[in-house]
Amino acid sequence: MNPALPAGLWCGLLLGAQLLRARALGRRPLFAPAAGDPAAGVRYAFTGAMLPWAKESVRLNPGSYAAGIAYHLGIAAAFALVFVPSRALAALALLGALAGCSLLAKRIVMPHLRGLSNADDFVSNALATAFAGIAAAGPATSRILPWACAALLVYIPLGKIRHCAFFFLSRYHLGAFFGRRGTFPPAAQERLHG
Amino acid sequence: MVETIDLEKGLQAFRARLGEADAAHLNACVHCGLCAQSCHYYRMDPQLENVPARKLDLVAQVFRRHFTVLGRLGLQGAALDDAMAKAWLDAVYGRCSLCGRCSLNCTVGINLPRVFKAARAALTAMGLAPADLQATVDNSLRHGNNMAITREDWVETVDWLQDELRAETGDPLAEMPMDRHGAKILFTVNPREPKFFPLSLQASAKVFWAAGEDWTLASEGWDLTNYGLFNCNDKEAGTITQSLVDAMERLGCETLVIGECGHGFASARWEGPEWLQAAYPFKVRSFLEVMDEYLEQGRIRVDPGMNTKAVTLHDPCNLVRHGGVTEPQRRILAKTVSCFREMTPNRAENFCCGGGGGQLAMGAYKERRMRSGGMKAQQIRDSGAKVVVAPCHNCIDQLSELNKEYKLNVQIKTVAEMVADALVTEPPTGEP
Ligand code: SF4
Ligand code: SF4
Ligand code: SF4
Repeated sequence: MNPALPAGLWCGLLLGAQLLRARALGRRPLFAPAAGDPAAGVRYAFTGAMLPWAKESVRLNPGSYAAGIAYHLGIAAAFALVFVPSRALAALALLGALAGCSLLAKRIVMPHLRGLSNADDFVSNALATAFAGIAAAGPATSRILPWACAALLVYIPLGKIRHCAFFFLSRYHLGAFFGRRGTFPPAAQERLHG
Repeated sequence: MVETIDLEKGLQAFRARLGEADAAHLNACVHCGLCAQSCHYYRMDPQLENVPARKLDLVAQVFRRHFTVLGRLGLQGAALDDAMAKAWLDAVYGRCSLCGRCSLNCTVGINLPRVFKAARAALTAMGLAPADLQATVDNSLRHGNNMAITREDWVETVDWLQDELRAETGDPLAEMPMDRHGAKILFTVNPREPKFFPLSLQASAKVFWAAGEDWTLASEGWDLTNYGLFNCNDKEAGTITQSLVDAMERLGCETLVIGECGHGFASARWEGPEWLQAAYPFKVRSFLEVMDEYLEQGRIRVDPGMNTKAVTLHDPCNLVRHGGVTEPQRRILAKTVSCFREMTPNRAENFCCGGGGGQLAMGAYKERRMRSGGMKAQQIRDSGAKVVVAPCHNCIDQLSELNKEYKLNVQIKTVAEMVADALVTEPPTGEP
């Protein structure tokens, strides 16, 4: 059996349990009347707010933003390569692996990032980058690819890669918060208080 | 630091704050470090401790150890102990003005101030909130206002200002009504106004006078500030909010109008109902929205030729990013000054002046506050303006200090002062 399958099950179950646990902490009813639309805030949080020009942190670090996008696309391509061989996907996975290496180098070189980093940051990067690299090198590595995939899947809920699930919940809550207050989307500020 | 810290109490207070959103925010950081430059503390002093994610990490570690299965098994996180409590204190009280700029810039979308507030609540429950900040809260609870101004002094100051207003407007009937039952608007002010900036209170009164508004001040429940927002003791914050609600009920007013104060607006408009766990039976508006409406409806007229110096506008975080009031002040200034220059960045992306989050009330961190304010000083200098308008008395205090420290040589004014200076009024028809 492909070892990625039980590992995927483990990953899904643990991430699901973690999300349920977060859910169980509950949401408080809010009493202050909304000034804006929380749903519009959520929509903006998942669209406009993620565009490169919408954030100063991205405007100041376009290279990191590009590397981040390439890294995530590369990992997605690597997952697809576990099941479907494809040259285009392999190229994307290679790009992802290179982006992972560049982000690792940045983490080591930049003092504030180095200071911020712990073992989890390095393990997460190593597993994901290696997975993308191995996928890109197929078919030579086709026998170890499922195992690399399984290792990554087993690790995901244990370290910071759990953000693949929490990203959505976190961004949803940020969007709802600023949407309610009329800060998101930016154009709403004019409309609501006009 | 006190001898023994009741860590259990801290954990309980922390736990009481945790909801789904907090769990999401505490689980989502990827340590990309892209939030570093969004924080004015880091910009002006690029050390690791000033990186927002580092501050977040300290809180997340405790969350993981005490509130997750892996943590309870000792496999992740770090326990809340004396050393961690000290680290929290330094991070969330000493290096953060809760301005929220990092949350807009976070790759993931983490609401960092939200979790910092949970940590502040825990520290306060353990008796570790900075004593001077706590004293400000205690003043409000004991005296009804954060500067312990007596009722007599408050009433006398308003009386004196009313005389000044009559002299200035030439209208012997101009009023600063106190405790007028059934007035449409109850206007609340920051105690800094009667204490240090009476002219700004007089300016607000002049605007109400020019608009012919039906308004009143309250002899009790008149302080719009609420430092419970900063020590994060919701019970104390709720008690302070209740005095505004009581004043509204006692006087039977329709709308509570919050004078120019960022955290005061956020407290009364957004947090108050949550602290009280009940919706208000009245409306809450910022004085900026009210003045904007007066101009829009032609209830007051202004001449921008009365304000000819170059003007820039500071966006108080609690009013703009966290309050959603962004445009009224801009529309007002567009009509009342002849030369307006935006700061860069502005609106929700503004930089905190450095005085937020209760920093102005925490003496121990003054040096950091002044240093972090360098970011705002630079924005002001770059704008080339000679007047900085700040619709927040807290910001005005900090900006005044920055003005001296960074030799900016600017005037600092409220929006109401600009409007009052530009008012075009009919010659008085009453007695001289
Ligand atoms: S809330 Fe403001 S002061 Fe606090 S860490 Fe974020 S950017 Fe810095
Ligand atoms: S930007 Fe967000 S995800 Fe990245 S380090 Fe800062 S807080 Fe963490
Ligand atoms: S002091 Fe002013 S700028 Fe700073 S957090 Fe408060 S409202 Fe924001």
